[in-house]
Parts: sequence; structure tokens; C-alpha cells
Amino acid sequence: MKKILIAALVILAAALPVFAGGGSEAQSDTIKIAVAVPMTGDNAEYGQTFLIAAQIMTEEWNAAGGVLGKQVEIVNYDDKNSAEEAASIAQKIVSDPGIIGVLGHFSSGVSMTAAPTYEENKVIEISNCASHPDYSKMGKYIFRNNTAITEEFKVMVDIIENDLKLTKVGVVAIKTDWGNTAGGLADKLVLASSKLQLVAHEDVLETSDDHGPAIAKLKAAGAEAVICVGMYSLYGPFAKQYKEVDPNVQLIGVSNAYTQQIIQLGGQAVEGLFAPVSFYAESSDPATKKFVDEFKKRWGAEPSSLAAQAYDSIGILLQAIKNTGSLDREKVRDAVQNINYKGITGQTTFDAIGDAAKQFTKVIIRGGKFVPYTK
Amino acid sequence: MADFVQQILNGFALGLAYALVAVGYSLVFGILRLINFSHGSVYAFGAHAAFFMVGLHFGPVPAIIAAMLITGVLGVVIDRTALAPLRKKKSVSIAALVTTLGISSIIQNMLVVIFGSQRKPFPDFFNFGTLELGGVRLGSRQLVMVTVSLALLLLLLMVVNKTKVGLAMRATAQNQKAAALMGINVNNIITLTFLMGGASAAIAGGMVGGYYQIVYPSMGFMIGLKAFAASVLGGIGSLPGALVGGLLVGVIESLAALFFGSNYRDATAFIILIAVLIFRPAGLFGKKEVVKV
Repeated sequence: MKKILIAALVILAAALPVFAGGGSEAQSDTIKIAVAVPMTGDNAEYGQTFLIAAQIMTEEWNAAGGVLGKQVEIVNYDDKNSAEEAASIAQKIVSDPGIIGVLGHFSSGVSMTAAPTYEENKVIEISNCASHPDYSKMGKYIFRNNTAITEEFKVMVDIIENDLKLTKVGVVAIKTDWGNTAGGLADKLVLASSKLQLVAHEDVLETSDDHGPAIAKLKAAGAEAVICVGMYSLYGPFAKQYKEVDPNVQLIGVSNAYTQQIIQLGGQAVEGLFAPVSFYAESSDPATKKFVDEFKKRWGAEPSSLAAQAYDSIGILLQAIKNTGSLDREKVRDAVQNINYKGITGQTTFDAIGDAAKQFTKVIIRGGKFVPYTK
Repeated sequence: MADFVQQILNGFALGLAYALVAVGYSLVFGILRLINFSHGSVYAFGAHAAFFMVGLHFGPVPAIIAAMLITGVLGVVIDRTALAPLRKKKSVSIAALVTTLGISSIIQNMLVVIFGSQRKPFPDFFNFGTLELGGVRLGSRQLVMVTVSLALLLLLLMVVNKTKVGLAMRATAQNQKAAALMGINVNNIITLTFLMGGASAAIAGGMVGGYYQIVYPSMGFMIGLKAFAASVLGGIGSLPGALVGGLLVGVIESLAALFFGSNYRDATAFIILIAVLIFRPAGLFGKKEVVKV
């Protein structure tokens, strides 16, 4: 009995500082925001650019005196775009009481693995890239500062119907959780259109650079326009291999195709590729210019629309904290929900499930550069 | 029909690349009875070495030759630093196998540190146009890949079967102790084997890099596993087996992609691997080993 008492005392003594720490959380002089993105691995260049974008935004706020009189601190985690890593990182994040929100994760599948942990612990998760339709439905604290993929497909269908005036459409999708769902949604939208005809749907593996068989099938089915549902790594090899078989095919990418890398990798073959984007780096808007210049200085190339969304996501979170005037998690969450934020990716508001609505610009690759599409 | 022939051609070119990688597995396995799982990363290293050398503007041929040398040396370094000490201590063979997995990870991460993990554009050297015959296209890239791979595989076969060094290699493969007693420097032969394995991986890396015009650190993972499947199919340890195995895996997976859809293509190589292990464990060209007690 005595032993148990002593043990209980020891445990209590060990636990005391923890409780004390919990109480003094509000007094700490920084506000922490986690950036949980792939810093290594196949999608590292996405994650690295998001971190830079997040840093630029926090530095701007800090230079102006921080938020609620406190400096903002970015805590970076590397999830390698792996669901296993993300699950343990989410645990780490929620166990740090100083972290109020998370920018991340990169792919939808990974974000959806981590989301329940954030939801349970009232940590606001804003993903600047997840586009799986079910992602934002995972909880009240789960937001998406990116459009659900359906919105992008609507623009892509519009491009094929009205700008290109083509009818036979093929869809190629990468074989991942996101690719499967998004590819299926692309099929549905094409089928729903009265002017378009879905001639083929092909899945390709992310681990292979050889897309010959898929291309052969798309071509045999007579596809005039092909909707590509993939990461930047798909476009270069796919476009090169397709243009050799059929130089007249019209390729249309999703918004993540808007990155300089696909021009480097695709060269001549990606000329004429369309993509719907919520952000265009050469816009004349002064806020955009300021961000783009700073970003170029640090990264050496123009930001993608996803990086711009990362920049705005941090802005939304900080603005929401400022509007709330406290770090009360429930109130900050409501402030994010009700925000009307003017950022470089347009005016952002969230709907009931936490999806952002965006305006799209149609861009096309001409002369080795992304330019806004004009007829 | 045109599609069918086209896929066989595509598979043939791809299969020869598998064969070049599979040769690396077979060379090392033949001599050391060791499955060298670092070979996929050595291949990625070779592709990056070629990519780097090409960046220095010496032209494609000197670049690939330089990459062969560097990668061959890497193979030797792997053996001398990690595997030779294990042999000296007569440690269990599984230790060497696990060591090769570790080396694979070290090489791949080293490439990430030096070159970054992103995909990098490899110049389009071998593109001199495309031949079209009745709806079937034969690209010059494919032609170059087929010619170079076949020439190298034949050269390797010649070295192993017709030269004195080859005789020493075959002797070492049969019985290291006896070979040493006949005055063969077994250690030098092992070094040479790793040099040849590394060089063939560099050629494969350079060719595949040029074929898809893309290189990245994780490029060796899948091709390494498929080449392993190919060398098991052909009979691991046998060079003609590696060639035939590589070709079969390449052609079968291209046809599988055509008939069942692209998402089945990676599975094909491993279905073949399992089938071979069940029905013909020694592979097509392998000899059944009799364990004498």
C-alpha cells in the first residue's frame, strides 16, 4: 500500500509541470503554425515551395508586429507524402499545445489520414492542395484552400467544348487514391456533357515512365482531347510519348500542371497544354508581384498556384486569429469558416463543409511559357 | 494488330534495358551466391552520373563511358567497404543480403542530397527520327537502345566464355577455394565482377534516361525489382538467362498493359516471378544445384 502511495506521488509530481505547462500556454510569446508537407521524397519540390511560401507570409506578418502582439513561428514537418509518416506527425502536432493550425498535407490520401487526429484535438487543418471531394467533409476543423477537383474539371470540360470545339475525349489518371476518385469524376463530367463523348479511360502507374500502352489505347479509341489527372511527373513523359504517336492531340491538365517543371521536362511536347489555375504569377496585381519576386529570390523559379495557395492559407489562418482577438480554438475555427479573405489567389470564402471557391484563369503553354489563354 | 506489334516492339526495347540490369544481378550471384539488392540504386546512380557528365558537354558517348567508369568504381567501392569485410568474417549470407538493402538506401539518399529528389530532364540524344511501317512506329531511340544493349550483352558473353579472365570468373563461380588453388586471384575477380555489374547498370541507366528523357533518384526501385524477376525467370547466375528473362518480362508486361490495362503492368513481372518460383525454381537456363553432403 505504501509503495502504491509513493508511486502515485511520484507520478503526480512528474505530471505537475505538464499541467502547469498547459496553463501557461496562452502566455507564451509565439504563435506556432505547423507546415506538414513532403520535404524529401518524390514530391519534395512541392513541399519545399510551400514552406517558402508560408515563410514569406509569416515574415510579412512578423515584420508588421505579428498577430495579437505575438510573433508567428513556423514549425516544419516532413511527411514524405506518406500516410504512415503523416499519422505520426499529426500526433506530434496535436501534442504541442502551442500549435494552433496546420498547413498540409500534400496529397489528399495523406491529408485524410491525418485529418481525424486534428479534428479530435481542435487543430485547424488547411490543405492548399488536397482536392479529393471527401477531404473537407472529414470534420469542422478541416478546411481546403483549393477547389475540389470537380470545379477544375468543369473548367476543363468548358475548354474542350467551347474553346477547342472538340468532341472525343479521353481521360488518363494516375493509379492513386486521389487519381482514382478524380479520374472517375472527370469521366462523369464528360459523360454528363451533351457535346462530349468519352472514348477511353486509362489508368497509369506513378512508378512507371512508360505510358505507351495507355497511349496506344487512347489513340485507337480516337481521342482528340485528353484530360490528364496526375502530378507534374506525369505530364512530361506522357506528352512526349503521346505527341510522337499523335502530334495533334490536345492535352488538358489539372491545376497542378501549372509549374515550370513540366516545361523543363516536357519541352516541345507540352506546347499547347491547357490548365485551369486560380493563380497566375505574371498578373499585374501588386500583392502578387511582391510575393512572386520574393519567391523567385528564394526558389529561383516562379511559384506554382499551389504555392500561392499555401501563402494565402497561412494568411487566412493569421487573419482569422486576428479577427478573433484570442487563441480560443473554437472561435478561431469559426473565424476561418466566416472569413472573406482577399489574397493572391482571389477572394476566398469557405462553404459549409470547408471548401474554398476560386475563380479560374485558363492558361496555355505557348513558346515555352504559361500565358493566359486568348483565342 | 498494329497495336499488338507496336507493343511487342516497345516491350522488346524495354526488355533489353531490364536485361542489362538483370545482368548485374546474375554476374554477382554467379560468383558470390549473393542477391545484390543495391543494384537498382546503382542503376539510378549510373543514370545520374550520365546526367551529370552530359551536363559537362563532352557529348553523349564520352559522357556514358565516363558514367560507366564512375559507376563501375562505385560497384567496387560497395564490395570493398561493405561486402568484403563480411566475407572475411565468414558471416551468414543473409547478413550480406541485408547489407545490400542498406547500401541501396544510402546510395539513393546520397543522390537526393546531391541532385535533389525532383525529376530532371535528360537530353534527347538518340532521337534521329521515327520509321513508320503499316501503323507500326520504330523510333531511333528504340533502335539505339536495342543495338547498344545487344552489343553489350554479346560482349559480356564473349568476355565470360572466351577470355582467360572469363575462365577465371567461371572457375571462381564453380568453386572459390579450388580456383584460388589454381592461382586465380579470387578477390580481383570479385572486384572485376562488381566493376562489370556497375558499368552495365550505368549503360542501362543512361539508355533508359535517354529513352524517357527523365532521371530521378528513385528510378531504380521498380526497374531493380523487375530486373530481379527477369534474372530469376532466366535462371539467376546465367547471362543468356538474364537476356531472355529481361526480354520476356518486357514484352509480357507491355502486352499485359495492352490487354488488361496499364494498371496491371507492374504486377505482371511479379506474377511471372511467383510462377517461376513455383513451377521452375531454377529458371529457364538455370541448372539445378545438387547439394552434396
